Amino acid sequence: MTVRVFSSLRRIFPAVIGLLMLAGCQDSGSSSTGSQDAVAGDAESDSESADAPSSRSGKIRICLLPKIKGISYFSSCFNGAREAADELGNVELIYDGPTDGDPRKQAEMIEQWTIEGVDVICVSPNAPDVVANAMKDAREAGIHVITWDADGTPESREFFINQATAQSIGEGMVRAMVSDLGSETEGEVVIISSDATSANQNTWIEAMKPALEKSKLKLATIKYPGENSSNALADAQDVIRKYNQLKGIFGISSVSFPGAAEAVEQSGLNGKVLVTGLSTPNDMKKFVQNGTVKSVILWNTVDLGYLTVYAAESLASGKLKSGAMSLKAGRLGEKQIVGDHVLLGDIIVFTKDNIDHYDF
Amino acid sequence: MSQLPLRGWSRLLARRDIGILLLIAVTTAVVGFMDSRFISLDVWLGIFIRSAPTMIVACGVMAVILTGEIDISAGSLMALLAAVMGLLISQSKAALSLWIGIPAVLALGTAIGTGTGLLVSYGRVPSLVATLGLMTALRGLTTIVMGGKNIDGLPPALQDAAKRGWFGVPVSVWVASLVVLMTSLLFYRMPLGRRIYAAGSSPASARAAGLHIQRIQVFTFAWAGFLTAVATLVDVPRLPWIESGIGSDLELLVITCVVVGGVSISGGRGDLSSVLAAVVLMTMIRPVLTFLDVGEMGEKWTRAIQGVFILLAVIADQISIRFLWRKSAKVRR
Repeated sequence: MTVRVFSSLRRIFPAVIGLLMLAGCQDSGSSSTGSQDAVAGDAESDSESADAPSSRSGKIRICLLPKIKGISYFSSCFNGAREAADELGNVELIYDGPTDGDPRKQAEMIEQWTIEGVDVICVSPNAPDVVANAMKDAREAGIHVITWDADGTPESREFFINQATAQSIGEGMVRAMVSDLGSETEGEVVIISSDATSANQNTWIEAMKPALEKSKLKLATIKYPGENSSNALADAQDVIRKYNQLKGIFGISSVSFPGAAEAVEQSGLNGKVLVTGLSTPNDMKKFVQNGTVKSVILWNTVDLGYLTVYAAESLASGKLKSGAMSLKAGRLGEKQIVGDHVLLGDIIVFTKDNIDHYDF
Repeated sequence: MSQLPLRGWSRLLARRDIGILLLIAVTTAVVGFMDSRFISLDVWLGIFIRSAPTMIVACGVMAVILTGEIDISAGSLMALLAAVMGLLISQSKAALSLWIGIPAVLALGTAIGTGTGLLVSYGRVPSLVATLGLMTALRGLTTIVMGGKNIDGLPPALQDAAKRGWFGVPVSVWVASLVVLMTSLLFYRMPLGRRIYAAGSSPASARAAGLHIQRIQVFTFAWAGFLTAVATLVDVPRLPWIESGIGSDLELLVITCVVVGGVSISGGRGDLSSVLAAVVLMTMIRPVLTFLDVGEMGEKWTRAIQGVFILLAVIADQISIRFLWRKSAKVRR
């Protein structure tokens, strides 16, 4: 049997390698075509780079690289980026990224853009270490590199467009939970995160812990279902059955938040166990409208994309230099810079009263 | 194992399904001792609801593995079928009747399975490569079909069946029971079942005996595709909405359960009851960790603990076999 397995492995190995290479090529290929298929289902959004890399019209070429292309969070960032590019007029925006969130594909795209000699590359690194080398190579080739949404290693970029500090996000979620429950409520809360290795989630958790200690709520446990909606639903159902004094669940990823809300609804505990977390308002509207969720927390993703493109343009045209204390960003006005972090501002709390005003 | 000349208790112990059930019972007893709420109807119904889709898909993938082939595309196929189901019957999309949507999803699953089977048997593409390619392609296709947006608004009837079902038991559990019954009839009461085993245990002699191995393979892949569609229809409406990540890691979970259940990966050997027991064992790990209240560090070890469970099941099996061999040797002497 062993012999059979080995011989068949030997037979298929080249084919497997070939297949993997093919998959890789397709992706790096798609990056050079810019945002032809940028946000599917949002057809008019592609027009920006229709006349893309070929034309050297003296425009500043800015590449915007999301963690995952095609999910609503990054699509809304792209909408803001497009708005800024339209306003500025001298910017050619290229939006592309891996569809599966693979950081190695991000690195390939950065390499491709470096070869094409674009002006600015804006990266939301999914794994800072994996893309760091490609980002450093781009900088050595004279291209401006900044990070947005998630930070990279410090030497790999010039600025980080910081949507909201981990502090304001973590404390904001706890503050929302405490005020939704009533500040005198005592009981247990649970955090349902993403993977145990998710850097953003882990820094938010570190900010939530001291805030929870100051409240009357006790953190019972933290679950890590990964980016898997069945597991997120299952974990939420289990903590509801396990913890008698459970008053609230924090769902701090785009998968665990709806999973937790669904679990509460299926247990018929709407209003008894509150769910709060981070998500785009459109995704959570149905849970806010039926009362399972009172507060959804996020920064303004449209403004994040908008600010990123303004910072990129300022950097390329020499208006923004390291050591600057502020940045003029169109309709957002003057934005503060602390060290090498360009700060977008505070979080937004979406509630039943204001959620319909937002569409992203 | 069945060849061992054993009697009474030792004969029972030699069965892998009994071994896994014992492991389940011991774990339940230990966790129940530490937190009595673990031994409740609610918790166990939850475990069976989560086991249902895995069991349904495992019935199909096991048939494929019995013939000596493998199918690692189940998770991606489920994602595509879920997206198609959403596009066809969701009220925000085409809003077609269930009478059209359900047969369409079943037909698409069966068709993709049949296509894979043809590629493997008549096209002579190794099944690992064929289904590896399919795994990537179907996941990519799902992203395109869904257009980067979640699909919401499945018909209330379907959601209600998946979340509440009949007599408090969701429809997925009823359907899983039916699928298990059908599969055991297929494997152990029908000539085709014996042929599936024969094709895997000794392809040369099966061919010499006049069996159409290629046809058998096409059937097993089609069966796996059909059952993945069944699992999609009964389980996905339970989730908050249809997103492109549905079914991620399902293929690995299913193959783990099939292997822990003692099915030989080179085909020909293994029984259904052990695989079903393995599904329950693997599914109960997450709630077990929750009820043990292992704390923040413990939670980070979830995957490692899952691995330990797999190793435990395999090692326990090896030990019991050795022990029983020695015992049976004594009996013979």
